[in-house]
Amino acid sequence: MENTATTITTNSESHRESIRSTLILRTVEVSDASAVAEATVSTWLQMSSLLTPVIGARGVDVIFRRSLYLTATSFPWLVVIWDQGSNAALLASLKLCLVGHSADEAIEAGYTLLVTFTELLSTLIGESLSRSILSPVWALQASVSEQETQS
Amino acid sequence: MSNKVTIHRLSTGVPGLDAILGGGLPEFSFNLITGPPGSGKTTLAHQIMFALATREKPALFFTMLGEPPLKMLRYQQQFSFFDLDKINDSIRFVNLSDDVATGNLDQVQMHITQEVETFSPALVFVDSFRSVIRDTLQQQEGAISLQLFIQQLGVLLSGWQATTFLIGEYLSENGSHPILTVADGLLSLEQNVYRNSMVRKIQILKMRGQATRPGLHAFRINKEGIEVFPAANARGGIGAEQLSSVAPHGQKRLAMGVPRLDEMLGGGLPSGYSLLVAGPSGSGKTILATAFLAEGVHRGEPGVIVAFEQTPSQSWVHTLYSMISAGQIGLINSRSPDLSIDEIVQHLTSLIQKMKATRVVIDSLSGFELAIAPTFREDFRESLFRMVAVLSGLGVTVLMTSELEDRYIDLRFSPYGSAFLTDAIIVQRYIEVESCLQRVMAVVKVRASVHSTEIRRFEITEDGIIIGDPVTDYEGILGGQPTRTKASRTEDGGNRDEQEGTQ
Repeated sequence: MENTATTITTNSESHRESIRSTLILRTVEVSDASAVAEATVSTWLQMSSLLTPVIGARGVDVIFRRSLYLTATSFPWLVVIWDQGSNAALLASLKLCLVGHSADEAIEAGYTLLVTFTELLSTLIGESLSRSILSPVWALQASVSEQETQS
Repeated sequence: MSNKVTIHRLSTGVPGLDAILGGGLPEFSFNLITGPPGSGKTTLAHQIMFALATREKPALFFTMLGEPPLKMLRYQQQFSFFDLDKINDSIRFVNLSDDVATGNLDQVQMHITQEVETFSPALVFVDSFRSVIRDTLQQQEGAISLQLFIQQLGVLLSGWQATTFLIGEYLSENGSHPILTVADGLLSLEQNVYRNSMVRKIQILKMRGQATRPGLHAFRINKEGIEVFPAANARGGIGAEQLSSVAPHGQKRLAMGVPRLDEMLGGGLPSGYSLLVAGPSGSGKTILATAFLAEGVHRGEPGVIVAFEQTPSQSWVHTLYSMISAGQIGLINSRSPDLSIDEIVQHLTSLIQKMKATRVVIDSLSGFELAIAPTFREDFRESLFRMVAVLSGLGVTVLMTSELEDRYIDLRFSPYGSAFLTDAIIVQRYIEVESCLQRVMAVVKVRASVHSTEIRRFEITEDGIIIGDPVTDYEGILGGQPTRTKASRTEDGGNRDEQEGTQ
């Protein structure tokens, strides 16, 4: 039993790492909070586009709002206006929040949001299924890092 | 060679379903899976999908307003057939709720067409269709009518060579729905609650171009998914085919494992016969059945026992258990509250085939009747009749025990009228002799064979049943209060005179 638990922890830690590196890789200028905000939102949009056909826009929406709520408990400044019902407004509001802070803080918040979202999804439809649906997001990261190594 | 079109039949991967469909599901057919909420429609659809979908022949699963996809994925993963590796490569889930919410069927159809063109699926599932119907009923302004929509969908999907399933509840709501005429196949699921048991049943109401097995068939949902238990059909596949391969009844005789009983039966029990052992509680029916199985094991003839009796710990019970644990005897001992005879027959048939068993014991019919779900009890006799026919078709020799209320006013062998179903009958009774209970046994019937008509005393010892001599000194035994025969009285009287004379 202990071994299994350890494996799961290691797995999810390495997965968290891949989420963090994807976010950093997508950020054009790491020291710029607005670049971080852009990367966070674009990563999220890709995740959403992969998930929507499977669980529906409403399903994605519910999990995203819940992730925002949970992330805000660690980052109280992440006050996103979410009662407008429009996703575009929600994302714009998220961007604004991230831009208003240091790049490091923004990365931490963006990373926490994406991790919370994937982990919340895993608790609902299982780790394997959620990873298999979202794998293209992290696959992009792998191919980008490969390209970087080659160049 | 015939130029007629050959319809390829797909194996559904649901145990028992292909049999009732008449050999599988016709390829490119347009099917409906209907039933009330909780009857297992989505589970059935998923199980078929996971069995059939491959990378070359992928499946598209459209979800609508019915079950939220998040929940469906969450719960369906609990079944062992849910293969995560197939998701995305062989199986794609597409959510249509946003299109359905607009109430415009054109848009729903466009989305389906678009996905079908992109993915080129061999299988298409739409779950649940009821939501579409309800929505269009509410919004009559839809660009195309529902019937047209369904027809176009049917044409589109068969044109794309896709086997299609629409999942919904409509049947119970409106029996004459236009969808029903468009469909090639109609699978109806239902769940009946009767007394304290719930039983699931499936019926193939329609399947174009092939002979389905009519009637309601019980099914069960467990961790592996759905398992259907086709109603035993002696004339169909199982019986007729098997009969020809089985030697005619009565050629070989089986030893019963009880000394002198073979002699009473006219040389043993003819192979392939069904024997009913009827008697009151404690008369030794289970012991006789155990001896029958043990003799089989001794002679290299494996057996199977369907046990519904709680048996006390006695030496001969240990014999039975040791044979079971050694794998020489197969045991079926099901106690679930939704049990049907067909389920037992299915398990029994597969166990007989697996073990190559030739001897089968059902102990007892009375326990069997109590074990099955109340809803099936009304058809107990019919099901029993079919079961005996199926077993006879398999060529096995069957021994069934039956509890018999010890009545002395009439001579009955079984409360189910099952006596006529069987080829041979042994009856056991208690008689009162000099204020003591004694056991007697007689062979009442062995079809097409000479047998003993004597009533013999027997005893149950640690070694099993010991059959004694015929009861010639008493008469009126079956009335329960035997009286001495005239001859024995005279003989005894003579003895007494002699004894008195010597003293």
